Amino acid sequence: MSGCAELSFNVDNGYLEGLVRGFKAVILKRVDYINLAQCETLEDLKLHLQSTDYGNFLANENEDLTVSRIDDKMKEKLFTEFRCLRSHSVQPLSTFLDYITYSYMIDNVILLITGAVHQQPVSELLPRCHPLGNFEQMGAVSIAQNSTELYNAIMVDTPLAQFFQDSLSEMNLDEMNAEILRNKLYKSYLESFHKFCKENGGTTKEIVCPILEFEADRRAFIITVNSFETDLSQDERSQLYPTCGKLNPEELRMLASAEDHEHVKAVADHHSDYKLIFEGSGDSSSDRTLEGRFFEYEVKLNTLAFLNQFHFGLFYAYIKLKEQEIRNIVWIAECIAQRQRSKIDNYIPIF
Amino acid sequence: MSGKDRIDIFPSRMAQTIMKARLKGAQTGRNLLKKKADALSMRFRQILRKIIETKTLMGEVMREAAFSLAEAKFAAGDFSTTVIQNVNKAQVKVRAKKDNVAGVTLPVFEHYQEGGDSYELTGLARGGEQLAKLKRNYAKAVELLVELASLQTSFVTLDEAIKITNRRVNAIEHVIIPRIERTLSYIITELDEREREEFYRLKKIQEKKKQLKEKSEKEIARRLAELGPMAEPVNLLMEETDEDLLFE
Repeated sequence: MSGCAELSFNVDNGYLEGLVRGFKAVILKRVDYINLAQCETLEDLKLHLQSTDYGNFLANENEDLTVSRIDDKMKEKLFTEFRCLRSHSVQPLSTFLDYITYSYMIDNVILLITGAVHQQPVSELLPRCHPLGNFEQMGAVSIAQNSTELYNAIMVDTPLAQFFQDSLSEMNLDEMNAEILRNKLYKSYLESFHKFCKENGGTTKEIVCPILEFEADRRAFIITVNSFETDLSQDERSQLYPTCGKLNPEELRMLASAEDHEHVKAVADHHSDYKLIFEGSGDSSSDRTLEGRFFEYEVKLNTLAFLNQFHFGLFYAYIKLKEQEIRNIVWIAECIAQRQRSKIDNYIPIF
Repeated sequence: MSGKDRIDIFPSRMAQTIMKARLKGAQTGRNLLKKKADALSMRFRQILRKIIETKTLMGEVMREAAFSLAEAKFAAGDFSTTVIQNVNKAQVKVRAKKDNVAGVTLPVFEHYQEGGDSYELTGLARGGEQLAKLKRNYAKAVELLVELASLQTSFVTLDEAIKITNRRVNAIEHVIIPRIERTLSYIITELDEREREEFYRLKKIQEKKKQLKEKSEKEIARRLAELGPMAEPVNLLMEETDEDLLFE
């Protein structure tokens, strides 16, 4: 089976794989980050970025360079690259790439729904949506008055229809907190994505499924830890845990009833890799927070994707790593702009 | 500006007493106002010192809050739109109270929390810890801002009040009291002059009377001399025997 995959993969996807490997090769290395961290001003940063693949993306900026401009421009570049990949792809790669965009679509839909609930004009909200998550029916979301209308009129045509089925059955649109809705949609999305990769089989399944399982477990842990201070009930909490991760149902139940950090750590100790992440994250004086360590682990898993060929995991890993790179550069830029250089090395190096 | 004149009043002893009382009143008033101005200045200096402290602290706190915003953005992605969408009622509100310093009412602002935290669940999936830290930092910044606002309004109000009080003190000291003193001295001089006039008048009258008396005596003496020696009329009292009495 794997022999056939290797032979036939390049017919449809070889060009795109080459393209993505090219993109991957110019992701900033450690030495680039060290150079960036030594810049004194944002102008210096711009100069340094010009020598990387980012080139002259900031060349047309006449007004004062702010961190948000840098952020926007980098996101634009990523979006252009992704659009190029998506437009050239065929099945099943195109479905895979669409799955990647669903998570951004979920964010956009939540944004538009909350905007509609507060009667804000659509034209204000549209520019704020993430470009990777654009879909045609976005403008129409604000017209819906309640959830059934929303579902029947609009959502049913979008790819997000399948995710809404689990969550929108009983609740009214305004009652449910936007965050809970977002997390429920994300849970359905993760499980559906995981199933898709499993069905696709082959190297894709071997590479992407562990990443998705880690993502699912990470969300479960972080939702638990962050909901300690809030009045999120245990039932609601357990409804938000994706089940496609390595944590079996018994452990998920233990997480749902966890009351403090120690319980969560106890659950994590069942798996050796999660145990490492939680090690030493109890004390707040460590230089990486719990979430930072999760990010690190994710980056490590994603870089492993590039060691194999002929699978779709490359594309997923590339998007995630590029996002992490954007976050790193924005972090360094903010530290420089606010003259707080003490924590400037808190970025997560990729290669 | 009042000129160097005095109050127009008819100079009399009564007026003098009245003026003395008024002078006393003006002096007491001036002392009281001076005390008020001193109390206000003391409070003013205190507030000034506190403002300087709070402002430097504010710089630090804002810096830290902005940095924690960058940290939260790093961990949680862009949550600014979520936050802006979910705004409905204010959670931190400000109450104005009145404080009294030496008769001057100063407004004092205090903040209070109302309602629960409507952003509790933001960042549930990512960056919750950083968001909590961010909320704390900005809450601290808002507290400091409210304090600074009330300090600055009291500063401005006190400044006004001190200026007014000092103006009044100076007015009393340099205008009212000298005027009263001048009036008083005018009255006194008038009274003295009148006394002297009286005295002079009396003297003159006495002189005149004496003159008159001398003149009249001279007249009598002259007339007497003209008449010659004349029998004195019988003096009933001097006579020893009386002719008319038959029996004695």
